[in-house]
Amino acid sequence: MLAVVGHVARKETRQILRDRRSLLLILVMPILLTFLFGKALETGELRQIPSVILNQDGSPESNVIVTAFSTYDEVQLQGEVATLQEAQDLLAQGKIKAAIVIPQGFMRQIETGEEAQLQLLLDGTDNNSAPIVEGVARRVIQRYNTERAIKGLWARGVRPDRGRRLIQPVFVHREIRYNPGLQYLSYVMPGVIGLTLQLLTVMLMAVTIPRERERGTLDQLMATPITRTELILGKLLPYFGISLLNVATILFVADRWFNVPVLERLPLLLALCALFVLSSLATGLLISTVSRSQFQAVQIAVFYILPVFMLSGAYAPIEAIPDYIRPISSLFPLMYFSRAVRAVTLRGAGLPLVWKDLVILGGFVLILLYWAVLSFRKRVA
Amino acid sequence: MSLAIETANLTRRFGTVTAVAGLNLSVRTGEIFGFLGPNGAGKTTTIRMLCGLLLPSEGTARVAGLDVRRDAEAIKRCVGYMPQRFSLYGDLTAEENLDFFAGVYRLSGQERRRRASETLARVGLADRRRELTEHLSGGLKQRLALACALVHSPSILFLDEPTAGADPPSRQRIWDLLYEAAAEGRTILVTTHYVEEAERCQTIGFMHRGRFIGLGSPEQCKAEMGEALLEVDALPVMQAAAVARRLDGVTGVSIYGHTLRVFAKTTTHLRHHLQEALVAQGVAVKSIRAVAPTLEDVFMSLTRGAQDDNGRG
Ligand SMILES: Nc1ncnc2c1ncn2[C@@H]1O[C@H](COP(=O)(O)OP(=O)(O)O)[C@@H](O)[C@H]1O
Ligand SMILES: [Mg+2]
Repeated sequence: MLAVVGHVARKETRQILRDRRSLLLILVMPILLTFLFGKALETGELRQIPSVILNQDGSPESNVIVTAFSTYDEVQLQGEVATLQEAQDLLAQGKIKAAIVIPQGFMRQIETGEEAQLQLLLDGTDNNSAPIVEGVARRVIQRYNTERAIKGLWARGVRPDRGRRLIQPVFVHREIRYNPGLQYLSYVMPGVIGLTLQLLTVMLMAVTIPRERERGTLDQLMATPITRTELILGKLLPYFGISLLNVATILFVADRWFNVPVLERLPLLLALCALFVLSSLATGLLISTVSRSQFQAVQIAVFYILPVFMLSGAYAPIEAIPDYIRPISSLFPLMYFSRAVRAVTLRGAGLPLVWKDLVILGGFVLILLYWAVLSFRKRVA
Repeated sequence: MSLAIETANLTRRFGTVTAVAGLNLSVRTGEIFGFLGPNGAGKTTTIRMLCGLLLPSEGTARVAGLDVRRDAEAIKRCVGYMPQRFSLYGDLTAEENLDFFAGVYRLSGQERRRRASETLARVGLADRRRELTEHLSGGLKQRLALACALVHSPSILFLDEPTAGADPPSRQRIWDLLYEAAAEGRTILVTTHYVEEAERCQTIGFMHRGRFIGLGSPEQCKAEMGEALLEVDALPVMQAAAVARRLDGVTGVSIYGHTLRVFAKTTTHLRHHLQEALVAQGVAVKSIRAVAPTLEDVFMSLTRGAQDDNGRG
């Protein structure tokens, strides 16, 4: 049994090593993907939302507001426009996401005690930017209001420090444990690592048996007394080796360019990655055993990976997924992997906190491999 | 004498197509048995069932005394299979292919390497063993595939068109190897659609639409052909053929160069009728004589008979 597994593994290894172009792709793609996914999500959080200002009032007070906006990085002021129509056109063309409008009479209303307004014109199609601009506007106005009130009280003889207490008696004090920069990137990197590993391993593995079927070599192989287990394990081993190489490069990229603290918990991370990769390879093998052609195998693999992207909590917290869908999420090894890696890299969790996920991943490996063996047919009925 | 292969009512259907239709086959241990038949006759399907690659729809088959339904894996240990389509790894060398298959047949260490290099030498590939298989010529690929089927010293060999597309010297080379294997006591079941190759077999089964329409040694087959045969030397040959085809009692006419071979139920009066008809049409007749059939004649006669039966049924 073991000897035959060895023969199959050696044969696969030779074939992999001889196909230089594919090999290069296999080794470079994960680095590239991690980098691209990571970079795409990194810029996603420091967004500079293109906006314009329409200063219809043109007063000293309205100028204070304009200056205040320019101190926030979240909005990128593209300049001032002269008319509302102009602002609306830019918004419609998608050139800006927000227009900040200071209506005529802004200063007069403030001085006479009427309600003054700052108006925002927001593009709701991008549901990320709108709340960010709104948040900035609230902060600008709150600061403006506070400063004005303090000045008002001072005019009535209340000293500024005392005035500030009167106006803002309560402050929120926050202390963020884990991921203190509140970076989305740190949150999402484990998911990126998992997705990259999964994409590659499932695809690679899924086409191996159909490829032999298409080339006719499976026919010769099936005429020998090789057992299904020997074939499945023999095919798994070399790809596991390659995947471990990929794990190493991906973790390196994550550590070096994306601030994922890999070295601190290296053995645990490696164990998680190894088990996860095995579960992915087993998934690929299962797809491989039921596919008639390489094309069909790729199709099935894509149909598997798409829901994984959406439902496994790799990009967004699993808690954001409705209760009735969550049972589906729990069918994907990626969910346990990103959860555990997140715990390790963000909270510094050790074995006591993630052993359950390790066990679950191990269970997936065994079940999927067993399933792949069972679904492989040596003889056509 | 013991039987290496024995089937009863062996049948395989693919949807509505019946590829093998109730085949009864007995192959004696140590003989070379040839499956002869046109494309689509069911030769490959039969072999794949006997090798345990395809489940029969009906009937039974025993190979080396083992049931193909129950003991397929045990059968695989003692048979060698050379598929119709080249099925070795093109991106492995000849030696690596043999070494791999020897390993998969569970030959261990020393034994595996010895068998692999012996078999390579035997098929004459020793000096090409380091070459990638995909770079070998068609004839060499066929010999390598044969080596692969032989590497574990099987007692029964299934060879599906082992010489298809090969030039005469390569074909001869492969047949030499088959005789060598037979001399070692291996049973060989080989398919072909080259009639002259069938002459080399001890027993021939003519397959047509999934069943045997003729069975026996080449001599038996020729002796038992149910039709008489005339060889006609006449000019112009095309016109002579047209005349012969129209004649009552003639079942078939084949043209070979300058001569015709005319099949008929009986030749008693035919010879005269034919002579008269040809002369009447202005054909110059050199000779008409009764001849013994070749295997090709038998094959033509049998296939025609089977087609007529089908037409009627
Ligand atoms: N896998 C298959 N699916 C459907 N039909 C098949 C299959 N294999 C063979 N056949 C059909 O069975 C018949 C016999 O084919 P085959 O055994 O390959 O004949 P031969 O080897 O004598 O040329 C053909 O009509 C062929 O189309
Ligand atoms: Mg065939």
